[in-house]
Amino acid sequence: MNDDDKNLISAGFGIVNRHKRYIFWFCVLNLALAWLRSIAFRQMASSTLDRSLLADRLLHGFDVPALLELMGRPEAGPMLEPTKVAAHFAFVFFFATLLFLPGVMEAYTNEGRLSRDEFFRVCGRNLWRFIRVFILFAILGGAVAGALFSAEHALVKLAGKSTNELLPFSTDVAILILIFLIMTLLRVWFDLSQVDVVFRDQPAVRKSLRAGFRYTRRHLFSLLASYVVIAIVAALILLVGVWIWHEAVPPQGVAAAFVVGQSMLILWLWTRFWQRGVAAAFYLREMAIVSPPSALSPPFVPPAPVPEPPEIAGEGGNQV
Amino acid sequence: MELGRWLIAVVFALFSISPVAFGQPAKASEKSPASAALIPDTTIAINSPTPLSARVVAYTIDAKYDPSTHGLDASEVLTYHNLTGQPLDRFPFHLYLNAFQPKATWIREAKAMGTRDVAYDEWKEEDFASEEIRSFEVVGIGDLTSKLEFIQADDGNKDDKTVVEVVLPKAIAPNDFVQFKIKFHDKFPETQARTGWKRDFVLGGQWFPKVGVWWHGAWNCHQFHATTEFFADFGVYDVTLTLPQNEVVGASGVRVKEVKNPDGTQTLTYHGDDIHDFAWTASPRYRVAEDTFQGSMGPVQLRIMMQPAHWDQEARHAKILKQTLDHFERWYGPYPYKTLTLVDPEPDSAAGGMEYPTFITGGTSWWVPAGLAYPEIVVEHEFGHQYWYGMVATNEFEEAWLDEGINSYTEVKILDDVLGRKTSVLNLFGMTAGEREIQRLQYTFVPDFDPLSRFAYKFANFNSYGGVTYGKTASVLLTLEKLVGEDTMRNALHTYFMRYRFTHPTGEDFLKTLEEVSGRDLGWYFKQAVYGTQILDYESLRFVSTPADWYKKDLKEKKGETVYQSTVTIHRKGDFLFPVDVEVKFDNGEKVREQWDGQDRWVKFHYVKKAKVDSVEVDPDHLIHLDRDNFNNSRTGKPKPAPARKLANYWTFLSQCFAQLLAWWLV
Repeated sequence: MNDDDKNLISAGFGIVNRHKRYIFWFCVLNLALAWLRSIAFRQMASSTLDRSLLADRLLHGFDVPALLELMGRPEAGPMLEPTKVAAHFAFVFFFATLLFLPGVMEAYTNEGRLSRDEFFRVCGRNLWRFIRVFILFAILGGAVAGALFSAEHALVKLAGKSTNELLPFSTDVAILILIFLIMTLLRVWFDLSQVDVVFRDQPAVRKSLRAGFRYTRRHLFSLLASYVVIAIVAALILLVGVWIWHEAVPPQGVAAAFVVGQSMLILWLWTRFWQRGVAAAFYLREMAIVSPPSALSPPFVPPAPVPEPPEIAGEGGNQV
Repeated sequence: MELGRWLIAVVFALFSISPVAFGQPAKASEKSPASAALIPDTTIAINSPTPLSARVVAYTIDAKYDPSTHGLDASEVLTYHNLTGQPLDRFPFHLYLNAFQPKATWIREAKAMGTRDVAYDEWKEEDFASEEIRSFEVVGIGDLTSKLEFIQADDGNKDDKTVVEVVLPKAIAPNDFVQFKIKFHDKFPETQARTGWKRDFVLGGQWFPKVGVWWHGAWNCHQFHATTEFFADFGVYDVTLTLPQNEVVGASGVRVKEVKNPDGTQTLTYHGDDIHDFAWTASPRYRVAEDTFQGSMGPVQLRIMMQPAHWDQEARHAKILKQTLDHFERWYGPYPYKTLTLVDPEPDSAAGGMEYPTFITGGTSWWVPAGLAYPEIVVEHEFGHQYWYGMVATNEFEEAWLDEGINSYTEVKILDDVLGRKTSVLNLFGMTAGEREIQRLQYTFVPDFDPLSRFAYKFANFNSYGGVTYGKTASVLLTLEKLVGEDTMRNALHTYFMRYRFTHPTGEDFLKTLEEVSGRDLGWYFKQAVYGTQILDYESLRFVSTPADWYKKDLKEKKGETVYQSTVTIHRKGDFLFPVDVEVKFDNGEKVREQWDGQDRWVKFHYVKKAKVDSVEVDPDHLIHLDRDNFNNSRTGKPKPAPARKLANYWTFLSQCFAQLLAWWLV
């Protein structure tokens, strides 16, 4: 990793740090939605556990058969329904992210603090553009992921014919890493395109996609390295979080578990925004435009024609 | 069958027309020429100076396996001792490998009900197997190949070729011998139902024509079904296997001879005494560890054949194997064989978790952590079958609960002792699971489809077969401990083992032994638990504590002073009648134990005390493992929201993770 990459990562971090309130609000939104989607589950669990001594097996430790028995009770019904509800709310969070992300990107590419009005105005103006970017990403990403996972399946199956038991696993891990890198690259491309959409107030998203592709191709390793480093940080956060949860939180420590869990989620979300910060920092660096044609900036007014300088006679006269 | 053989058979039949040819018994003075062939009374493979079983059969098999075709050519000499007390002229034989053919009963049932490993979404060439008899001669009678007929007594499926029958032209007199000389060819499938090949590995299970069992006055020789296992007579096995020299081989019995052939093959000879089946395995990649267990009848040589990637788990396998042997010896009876081969089969093959006499297959993966006791469970379970199937050789077609179920019970007892009651399956990252609860759950998900006593191939579906045969039997016997005591149960199983080892007992024999040893009439329990499908479910329905002076306007409740009238209601939700204990706990710490015979639909207990009822619990010692719902057994006065909050927190966290992951990649 060269100095440019490090600068990019730290610049991205700086941007996110300046606008950390957005991460907070996204977390609050996710938590609120999660709370709503867990109502059915909570009611089901409460009706069975609140007055049963057997529930102690779940509180003081985590007795898997007790959990399975709870899930298997006819009163609980199949877990499919709460899972469906959870999935629906996850999509709500996804659309909320789609809706509010333009405002975040606008803030990331601006020096000053965005007013609430400005934030929502940018969100509204870019919503349809972001949806189109998402659709294109879904098509392209789906096709690429589909092809890659098909290849993974075929190669792992092929490796399964080997007498080396570890070969299928090693093959799988290697291919999954490759898939991760390729999908990350796609994400870099589309992140840059999103920045371009917002920064240029670009209604034709194909132009932003072209610009994003161009930047990604030219700075492929630098951008990929930055994203991967941050993804590794995210993975470490998850691992450390699970370790703390396991080691430091007593089985009956519901509040402590909540705090650790939410901290993990905030930090995890932070890393994703950090990647977006990197995209914004990179974009700003590359554009090298002093006064970007941002939607929030005053309309671009071409400089007035410079009048022909009058002939100044004499020495020492300055030419404008 | 070939035409030439058919003609020879016809000619032979014409020459052999005589009274005995029509099924009349030979007179005592007219013993068949095979009488000279006796079943040997060898004790090479057992730690006993004399045979342990009434040896009915002796198999001598000379087989050559070709790994490139997964085919096997063999000649078999089967000597059968007619101990039935009556003349026999019909002999059925199992040809188990023919089960793996698309129209066979096994596959038909497997497609309809599912199996534990192969789904049969599509039929592959590798799935096909066959066991073809190429010649069938009866010593002293002649070639009867053309007389062989496939029979389908269980379901009439004419495409099923897993049982073949021959009718002899003359009957074999009581106590006489008959000798069959059979040449056969096997084509093994890619592993299915604990037999076949996978990559360069092979497990030779159910691979030779095997005579049925004369049992309760008739031949017992069922077709091979998707949910059944096996049933065979005890005897002596001498098996010679020829295969390439690079193969590492393991088999039932003891290896008595080993020859390297000039053509690059090796010929290995095995001998087994007092066993009723013979299995073998070969792979060029096994790593083998030898160990010894000092049994009460003599040393037992342990041969542990591991996959190379699992070599670091060899000690784990050896440890649980020896612990299991030790427990069985101490609790149930001696292990009399000189060997025990434990095979760690090819990964993702359908060869794991299987029992054959003195030969078992385990099951593990390279990644299995110490806190996940799957390898230990499989090894313990399969070794347990050396007792419940291997020596106490019950009919697995008809009474699967006697082998799988009793074995699941002893598995729970031994794993409880070795790995801990609550951690014998899982003890990882704060999560725990005990084998007894896992067995119980298997049953509680399918509690009322089938009774234990149902024939294995007549269960409603595969889940019911598994849940009832394994899980319910274990739970029935664990619950029985509440009635007769843990020590009595152990004594009963010891008595059952010692009394019926090397025989074919029935469920009735087992239940009578339990009653005899416990000295109690347990018919009422067996009627429901073994022969019925009743559901056992008792609940603490409600309780109320009201101040005795509730009507007084100036009543002020004071803890320890105010007198309360309390009523506790216990409800029998299920139709299984069982006596239960009830523990009522008061808010001053006092506990009261009640006994209820559980006959009525409900019972009420009344108390007048200077304390309110704090909680009520049915079965406070957690001895009734048949109870379908343990959550409703207890009830507390004040709700305790912490457990539900904890789970809801987990659920919330996981769904947040999912949402963030979705947004991470897609936006």
